[in-house]
Amino acid sequence: MKKYWFIVPFLTAWIFSACEPEFSNPVDPDNPEVTSGDADFTTYVAIGNSLTAGYSNGTLYLSGQQNSFPVLLAERMKEAGGGEFTVPYMENDKENIGGLKLNGQIIVPPRLVVDAGEKAVERLHKEPTEELTVKPGPYNNMGVPAAKIYHYVYSGYGNMANLPLGKANPFFVRMASSPEATIFEDVMAQHPTFFTMWVGNNDVLWYATSGGTGTDQTGNPDPSTYGPNDLTDPTLFAYLYNQMVDALVQSGAKGILATIPDVASIPYFTTIPYNPVPLDEETATMLNQAFANYNNGLQLAYANGLITEDELNKRTVHYTAGQNPLLITDEYLTDLTSLGLPSVRQTTPDDLIVLPAAGVIGKADPVNPQLIAGVTAPLADRWVLTDNEVATVRNITAQYNATIKGLAQNYELGLVDMAAAMDQLVSGLRLEDNSIYTADYFSGFNTLPNLFFSLDGVHPNRKGYVILANKVIDAINNTYHSTLRKYNPGYFDADIMIVPSN
Amino acid sequence: MKKNLITAFVLLASVPLFAGGYRVALQGARMLGMAHAGTALYGNAETLFFNPAASSFLDGEMHMSFGMSLVKSTVKYQNATYLWTAKTQNPLGTPFYAYVSFKQDDHFYWGFALYTPFGSSLKWEDGWKGAHLVNSISLKAVYFQPSLTYKINDYMAVSAGFIAAWGSVNYNKDLNRFLTDESGNKTDISLNATGITGSGYVLSAFIRPASWISMGINYRSKILFNARYGKAEIHDAPAYFTTTRDAFSATLPMPAELSGGIAVKPVKNLTLAADVNYTYWSVYKSLDIDFKTALPDNSMPKNWQNTLTYRFGAEYQAADNLALRAGYFIDQSPIPSTYFSPETPSTDSKGYTAGFTYTYKNYSFDFAFLYVDGSERNDSYDYYKEGLSAPRFDGDYVFNAFIPSFGFNIKL
Repeated sequence: MKKYWFIVPFLTAWIFSACEPEFSNPVDPDNPEVTSGDADFTTYVAIGNSLTAGYSNGTLYLSGQQNSFPVLLAERMKEAGGGEFTVPYMENDKENIGGLKLNGQIIVPPRLVVDAGEKAVERLHKEPTEELTVKPGPYNNMGVPAAKIYHYVYSGYGNMANLPLGKANPFFVRMASSPEATIFEDVMAQHPTFFTMWVGNNDVLWYATSGGTGTDQTGNPDPSTYGPNDLTDPTLFAYLYNQMVDALVQSGAKGILATIPDVASIPYFTTIPYNPVPLDEETATMLNQAFANYNNGLQLAYANGLITEDELNKRTVHYTAGQNPLLITDEYLTDLTSLGLPSVRQTTPDDLIVLPAAGVIGKADPVNPQLIAGVTAPLADRWVLTDNEVATVRNITAQYNATIKGLAQNYELGLVDMAAAMDQLVSGLRLEDNSIYTADYFSGFNTLPNLFFSLDGVHPNRKGYVILANKVIDAINNTYHSTLRKYNPGYFDADIMIVPSN
Repeated sequence: MKKNLITAFVLLASVPLFAGGYRVALQGARMLGMAHAGTALYGNAETLFFNPAASSFLDGEMHMSFGMSLVKSTVKYQNATYLWTAKTQNPLGTPFYAYVSFKQDDHFYWGFALYTPFGSSLKWEDGWKGAHLVNSISLKAVYFQPSLTYKINDYMAVSAGFIAAWGSVNYNKDLNRFLTDESGNKTDISLNATGITGSGYVLSAFIRPASWISMGINYRSKILFNARYGKAEIHDAPAYFTTTRDAFSATLPMPAELSGGIAVKPVKNLTLAADVNYTYWSVYKSLDIDFKTALPDNSMPKNWQNTLTYRFGAEYQAADNLALRAGYFIDQSPIPSTYFSPETPSTDSKGYTAGFTYTYKNYSFDFAFLYVDGSERNDSYDYYKEGLSAPRFDGDYVFNAFIPSFGFNIKL
């Protein structure tokens, strides 16, 4: 027996090197089983604006472009026959500072960052490293930040010579195939087999973020007469949208249309409450005395039938100890300036204060320190989207979305209901793995895991874009019976840059 | 000197996970050949672990046993939704034992046992998707157990013993699923606690009504490892992190175990044994890490459940100097559904053993080999907190282990 003992070490060595456990159905990451279904992903073109370009934290930067939802989508499409996906990358933005320079001038600012020392959100104190140079396209990612619906068919939008006139867009100048090419011509030149179309956001967003300073252009189909913050005529919107979708479908492409989220539900409008002014009893009493004349004047106007009882109540200024609403200018109020009564009132929960107002509220006028913005001096129109303006922008958005949903149905295209997704986000979007994402604004390191939006309060952060990509993948799979794989947003960094000092 | 010795033993006691919970049932090469079903058996000093009372039935004045096992285990993970795969690169484990038993008179017998009943060491691949739960863990425990046995008559004996335990824990995980420093390295936290002590007791009884049958029962109490002076250190933190060091306290329970066994000799030269172990895993409710200053306390619910392990062994005395053994056991996982975390990915398992003892004069050499076949399990851990969320970590797990075990015995 003794002489066989030598086998023991050999036996042991053999066993140690062999025989790992195996799964009954092993997963092979190098060989995913994915099908394109009824769709053809050979040439995918993404049509859109900043949300398609990967704009985030208040600007466009390289890693934002690399994480745009079309790039994420194209990555998954490659597993199902998808081809190359080109993007007008800002290749000199190696530090992801963001922004653009032209002839040494900053024409697009760098990204927003959190200054941990000052506990403030501000632009990164670095100069953009990307110079605006023309890199003629067309590119698969045709997301052009700031584009409105009529810009997609506007020749000259990509012409450098038009930049000083304000008629061109630096982002499209970079990527246009020729100075006179339109965005949509560059789309069609690629003969897309598949497209995503998410346009129209800026047609309502700019009006909203400007605090409703623009005009509702309903009934005016001539965009050359529009100001930048105007609401695009829904009839014009429907006409142009239909033209583009029709051209795409006639050329044989399949695709996905996306609705426009309710702009009033993004953190740009929901972060500052309507009543951010803390007052003690003494100050409240003093302020009430100061507004006694205004309130008495309103009573007089009401007694003479100049204003309704509703308006009287809405305009009467009253402060109490505790949290108080803001004093604002509201052009929808009856003009009583002839009586020496300005068009001011206090905010209600139906008014939305824009995020940049944080830097204004409570600040004393440098000339007359008695005038405190939002308390003794009314906030200007641009800091507040008033109840009437909210109603206007919601009405226009609803008309656009009715058009988009109708066209998706008529042309048998997929639909991503981004508006519904945004509504879910407001109450907390729960994903398959039980993780939750909210429409809240950044408020500290601990909020990062649940954050959907970036620091600009309008655009998603990296996790948010991953969630959007998943929504689009769901819509594609449901419509075209494909099996594109989704991403897990939990493993993506929020890409909120926090710096110890700025 | 004493302290150094203990440290050395604790270092040796590292065991890659391979069985129910973090119990490491490798307390004797002789008994391991019979699937570790030793509660109703005696044959050498190993019985000081399995049933100290039975040591009084050993003939001779003194018995010594020393041994160790080499544990090679691998755990694999996969997630079919996201096509994630990972496996562990566990260090080779070396649990050991040393037993000395001697007779004072016909009634009183002393025993001194040193063994490593618990432990777990796992190292997952760098950058794997469960890193927010565990990158690596190493739990070590060494028990020292003096016992006194009273042999009532030729048929029965009872025993009581005291246990002094030493342990250490070293645990590393990523802070969350996404956080990195400025260069993109994942931010991780290491928790280190050494020199943890605890104490417990052991009670046992043995009865041998006839030469062909014996029965035994053994109860080993739980021991709570209270780590009071643990050190926490965060690595690869973003620049805005103001704190990267802290102290912590935590309690890790070593559960109690009740074992009952029966052994029979149906024919000459053949012994059959069966054991049941009941392990009180329900003591492991949660792993609570209380940080002393800066870091927020962390609680990971465990909610483990008591388990049963069934062991069956056979021994055939092939010659005067050679015994051959074989065994089979079924081990339950203590982890309920939705509590299955990759830091102790213990699934139900089956063990197959074979072994022999070669005797020469007063010396004998034991060899046993154990193959553990872990069943595949699809499960998740649902209680990891990340901000407002408790994102589920799910997937398939499977493991196996190959364990040769060597023992050396002296009888005087």
